Amino acid sequence: MKLRSNLMIAILLAGPFALVPAAAHAKDKKMSGVQVVEIADVSVGLNGLVCDFCSIALNKTFKKRDEVRGTYVDLDTKTLSIALAAGAELSNAEIVKLVKNAGYTATKIKRKDGAEFIPPVKP
Amino acid sequence: MRRCAIILITAALMPLLFAPAAQARPVSYPGGWTLMLRNDAFQNSAHVHYTLDPAHSVGLRVRYDRGEDFTFTGAQLNRLMKRWNAPDSQANLYFRLGAGQAVDNIDRDDLRVKRASDGAVFLGLSGDWETRRYFVSASAEYWDNGRFGDASNYHARLGIAPYVANTGALHSWIMVEGHHRPESDGLQSEDNLGASLILRLFKGPSLLELGVDDQGEALLNYIHRF
Repeated sequence: MKLRSNLMIAILLAGPFALVPAAAHAKDKKMSGVQVVEIADVSVGLNGLVCDFCSIALNKTFKKRDEVRGTYVDLDTKTLSIALAAGAELSNAEIVKLVKNAGYTATKIKRKDGAEFIPPVKP
Repeated sequence: MRRCAIILITAALMPLLFAPAAQARPVSYPGGWTLMLRNDAFQNSAHVHYTLDPAHSVGLRVRYDRGEDFTFTGAQLNRLMKRWNAPDSQANLYFRLGAGQAVDNIDRDDLRVKRASDGAVFLGLSGDWETRRYFVSASAEYWDNGRFGDASNYHARLGIAPYVANTGALHSWIMVEGHHRPESDGLQSEDNLGASLILRLFKGPSLLELGVDDQGEALLNYIHRF
């Protein structure tokens, strides 16, 4: 009886939120998904990337910026790919700061033109 | 009061014990909302929080204590004390503090009975370490529920992912949780120790946990990041 009531309360509380992911993604008009990797202007190597909550934090943080057209986080390669809006720029310092704000550590920033930047490691 | 001081000192020393060691991440990204629901033999709990900056979130906590039959409603502050980001792992140490009102449930057979209420506070410390394959966490929490009494609980979890999934795929975990509730008066077992087997399913912004404890009681937890 206790088990059943426990289960019922939980389902009632959690049920409506099962519909939320689709609604939330529908609102996100910026590019996402693996296709961003092909057109990315910047790719960022990351430390601390272990789950989908990590990718959500990074995507949401970067997509707030007007300079960003789309993002994709690949857990396998531990890389954040960023497609910039036409003519927009995002400095290495800003990228490092945004990654830190999202809760992670940038290890390498690679630009489309081949330029690479290794952020200094803080003790 | 003396007990509260002991807990505070213990909380301060906990980082030494759990240094790289939960509760699933009570601090998100700045500007992010999170819903956390926990339902087990001891409680039905909902916590909605808003992340202010990379280290702090504030929110509302509503918790029904199934053993003592009262409901706590109050504010909760979560602080990420330390995060360790490594190439293949992440570890976190969190502190949480809450204050609010504990109110007992109306006696439905006799509505003339006055509802009892009292101020309540709680504090907790939790830590976790995880890779994409393994998960370890530990948590300690102390509640001063005024006239409803004090309560503390300790949890530890071990988890393994049978396969490693990439972004957006369904992530599955099998976890074992041990818990100790010294003040639960043998509600679950004589020594107030218990264990649960948990299946965690994780996809995109949603995390669902289904489990059963050693007394056959169900566990259902849900987290959603907005």
